[in-house]
Amino acid sequence: MSHSKSRPTRRVWLPAAFLGLFGVVLCARLVQLQVFEHERYATEAREGLAGTETIYARRGAILDRNGGVLATSVATWDVYINVRLWKQDEFAYEASEALATVLDTDAASLRALVRDAEGVEIPVARDLNFEAGLAILDLRLRGVNLLANTDRIHPEGDLAAAVLGLTGLDNTGLAGIESRYNEVLQGEPGRVIYERDTTGDPIPYGQYVATEPRPGDDLVLTIDRYLQRMAEERLALAIEEHRAKSGSITVMDPNTGEILALATWPPLQYSTLNLDNPDAVSLLRNPAVTDMYEPGSVMKVITAAAAIDGGAVSPGTTYYDSGIADVYGIPIKNWDDRSYGTQSMTGVLQHSINTGAIFMMQALENHDPGAFQEYLDAFGFGGPTGIDLEGEAGGIVRRPTDTDWSPVDLATQAFGQSISVTPIQMITAIAASINGGNLVQPHLVKARITPDGVRRDVAPRIVGRAISAETSATIRHMLNEVVAGEGVYHPGNPRLYSAGGKSGTANVPVTNGYDDTQIASFVGFAPVEAPEILILVKLDENADGLTGTAAAAPVFAAFADDALRYMNIRPDKGSYVSQP
Amino acid sequence: MAAINHPLGGQRRGLPLPGGLGSANWWLIGALLVASAAAMLPVIQNSSATSEGFDLQAYQAREAALRSDISLLEADVARLTSLKRIERRALEIGLVEASDPIFVTVNEPGPAPAKLPAEYLPRPEPARDEPDAWWKPLVNWLPLGS
Repeated sequence: MSHSKSRPTRRVWLPAAFLGLFGVVLCARLVQLQVFEHERYATEAREGLAGTETIYARRGAILDRNGGVLATSVATWDVYINVRLWKQDEFAYEASEALATVLDTDAASLRALVRDAEGVEIPVARDLNFEAGLAILDLRLRGVNLLANTDRIHPEGDLAAAVLGLTGLDNTGLAGIESRYNEVLQGEPGRVIYERDTTGDPIPYGQYVATEPRPGDDLVLTIDRYLQRMAEERLALAIEEHRAKSGSITVMDPNTGEILALATWPPLQYSTLNLDNPDAVSLLRNPAVTDMYEPGSVMKVITAAAAIDGGAVSPGTTYYDSGIADVYGIPIKNWDDRSYGTQSMTGVLQHSINTGAIFMMQALENHDPGAFQEYLDAFGFGGPTGIDLEGEAGGIVRRPTDTDWSPVDLATQAFGQSISVTPIQMITAIAASINGGNLVQPHLVKARITPDGVRRDVAPRIVGRAISAETSATIRHMLNEVVAGEGVYHPGNPRLYSAGGKSGTANVPVTNGYDDTQIASFVGFAPVEAPEILILVKLDENADGLTGTAAAAPVFAAFADDALRYMNIRPDKGSYVSQP
Repeated sequence: MAAINHPLGGQRRGLPLPGGLGSANWWLIGALLVASAAAMLPVIQNSSATSEGFDLQAYQAREAALRSDISLLEADVARLTSLKRIERRALEIGLVEASDPIFVTVNEPGPAPAKLPAEYLPRPEPARDEPDAWWKPLVNWLPLGS
């Protein structure tokens, strides 16, 4: 009896307890989901509902100083194929035939490409012409996706390629100006966040948040494309004529430090550049700022400027050249093994006498010990100039604090050995010696133009004072005597303009000595009284063995005539000058 | 007789339709219309939103295409003004390289600047009106009619 009474009770309370427990668990779970984890699920829901898209900003153009376009971007498409869809033959066949027609390729190879591919999507074309991309979009091909992109084009071809550099597939600058000013050129990409439906399409009037892309600034370079082209053509001819291994022509406005042209050899050519080749990768650096060399006799200009500015000598100071200078027991001879007898300081530069350069350095050191290397510092040697290109080398100046220092180093530095410089360092130092004494910072960007058209000019920057204006004027006239002295024929003398200059021929240093190969160079400026251009011509390892005077100076003279005429500078000599 | 004009016995004459009942029907019709309109509104809105959404996408695509066209045209201009192209074209039309320029210094003053069309000249300064005498504004206050 009692047994029959207990059964119905259990039948009731067990399910009731189970249901009650289930209800409690359910409620607890609901509380957990809706209260404690509300934020997490709300966020997931928002993310699932929201689609995002990046809008790439237009990359700024690079212009020459007169507004000529050197690099700009055009809209293109990257074409991707959905591998999973194209694995189905019925889609692949029809779509590949249509796509191949637009891409001007073979449909079977497209299908084979996809058949062997792994992953979700594979690219089949990059930087496709914009109109061709629109044609593909109109075809509405299954499994073919197009992503908007931009391509960098160079209307002037390979002109100034080593200066401009290049961009990668993601439109980021990899070298040159493109790399140095990547942040400025790139702009800021925009971002779109929108509510989307189950197919992924945006819901009209759904929540929509967008940040507009900010296009990059345009850059106006100091480069003049006409002068750049002239420099590249002249350099190529000189390289061929003198069978040189490499070389450069650097053209600068000595008053502002603006680089008007910068040609280097071997040239960087966009059309043939293969970055898989390690040798080609070396073309991405600009040797005029990254490669060091011993300047040779060009350095005598700096030695003379230092000695005159330091009050140790004057242009008329004379000394006797026996052909050999004894420096701490080490005999140092002239480059041509000649003895020039009694010579003035101007004569030292005219004949490029090594013993004369040593005389000037020693006179300065006797007058003010340590002054010579202080002047080297003032002219910017031993440190980067700060030019706006990547990878600039600072040069090497051996100093008394170095472990392998020898007092002879000071003597050899006076005529351009035991010191390594970059071409840009050398031309900057020469600029300071002829422009009134100001050490100007060389630069390649003249102005920035914001997307709303506001132009911001880059002001020339004077980073120091090397010598006085009087010394600078003296050096100009001494260098004029080098190329146009009384009874002097010099191949570096322009036909229409007064000029000054100095050559340098130095052997290439190797471990424990010097190689037989040489570097021939010439630095010159014109006109003498108010220099408008300063040109450094450098030919590396010219197989014909000609000196800087014979190989590089004629390139300067011809270039100066043509460049100044182009710049509308009035000739100050020659048959075309009329008297006022 | 008198019954002629009487209504049926025990029956009362129906009251004339009051104006209020007619108004009540209009209210009803109005309410129905409003309800119908309210019911239709989401449909219309949806339809309109969808349609305008497509228009919007089309306009955005058009804008993107126009921007791309602009960049292509800019690139074309750049190509057409490249040094090589100019040189090639100059040779095609028979131009030759310039010889050395001749700079001549003369003692005579240069010619007067060429006259420009009026639209390129700076606008003349507008004539300044003399400030009114202090009493003139007071005259305007008088009720003298206009």
